[in-house]
Amino acid sequence: MHEESLVRSLLHQVEDLAQQHHATEVEDIEVEIGPLSGVEPLLVREAFERLKDGCKWPSCTLTISVVGLMVFCNQCSGESELSSFQFVCTHCGSTSLRILSGDAFRLLNVRMQIENAG
Amino acid sequence: MVFEMTVQTISVNQDVLAAKKQRAAEQRERFTAQGTFVVNLVSSPGAGKTSLLQATAKHWAGRFQTGVLVGDLATDRDAERLRPWFPVEQLTTGGACHLELSLVQQGLSRLPQLPYEFLFIENIGNLVCPASHDLGEHLRVVVLSTTEGDDKPGKYPKMFRTSQLMVISKCDLLPYVPFKVDEAINDARLIQPDMISIQTSAIHDEGLSEWCQFLENARAEMLSSRDTAAALGITPVMPSVLR
Repeated sequence: MHEESLVRSLLHQVEDLAQQHHATEVEDIEVEIGPLSGVEPLLVREAFERLKDGCKWPSCTLTISVVGLMVFCNQCSGESELSSFQFVCTHCGSTSLRILSGDAFRLLNVRMQIENAG
Repeated sequence: MVFEMTVQTISVNQDVLAAKKQRAAEQRERFTAQGTFVVNLVSSPGAGKTSLLQATAKHWAGRFQTGVLVGDLATDRDAERLRPWFPVEQLTTGGACHLELSLVQQGLSRLPQLPYEFLFIENIGNLVCPASHDLGEHLRVVVLSTTEGDDKPGKYPKMFRTSQLMVISKCDLLPYVPFKVDEAINDARLIQPDMISIQTSAIHDEGLSEWCQFLENARAEMLSSRDTAAALGITPVMPSVLR
């Protein structure tokens, strides 16, 4: 249910970015969601569809990249993708792991139309 | 003047919550500087967060200056339960499923301005959304009651991954419920290998000395990290058990 507030934050960030770049239109917003992002892709999409009508670029699209849970092993320095929430290194079995990706809701790219005076 | 339209893709690659996380980290630094050890209590509804706080108050019997911020969707029932024990402010979210830093900061400004040694933030009963929101706490404690089932950690991985301590509450009911303490702990440690666990029964005052001692030690470690860092003129690095 907090997807709506997160999508609202996302749209504010994109709005600031669009202003910074003097964009006339935002065409697409690309976000990354993983297993521990704490958001559900379908609900993010629904929240986006609901909220984008109220923003400055109602024809903007949302691209969701779904990523896996990647971890770095502090013991063997190996990287692995975890297929479950069992935090065990797939190379050496250590449980001392640092998450590399898949635990955040990230704004990746924003495609926008920019008017240049020539 | 001729205007030319170009399409550009701007790469951002940043956590949507990055700005909020930064503000939370700054708030945590302020708490540390003031010597206030902050605990964010999370659980499903009815797991016993308020009862744990009441039992904590009885146990400490006024030894520490402690404040409480308590979140709920509606009513100030929890605040009323805690008022005999602590300075307390109710944060009503009006339907929001989690507390955010801005609500906490608002509540802080309404609390009597005392040099708190401990501040408890009792979050909304919900094992999902509060997991994503840093409130500037030093310690996140997830309360899991024996009536909920020992399979919860695996079902709510983010909450258990982001907590440092699990309190297994209502342990006086263990003879009557199919809850295996070992299985709950094992399940939690698959997700969070460093999870510390403490078993309590608030109504029978069981496990409360262990819980209170843990908090007192954690605060002492926070203070010593802070003071060591101040002596060296560096940024404090909190012990790994803390956030």
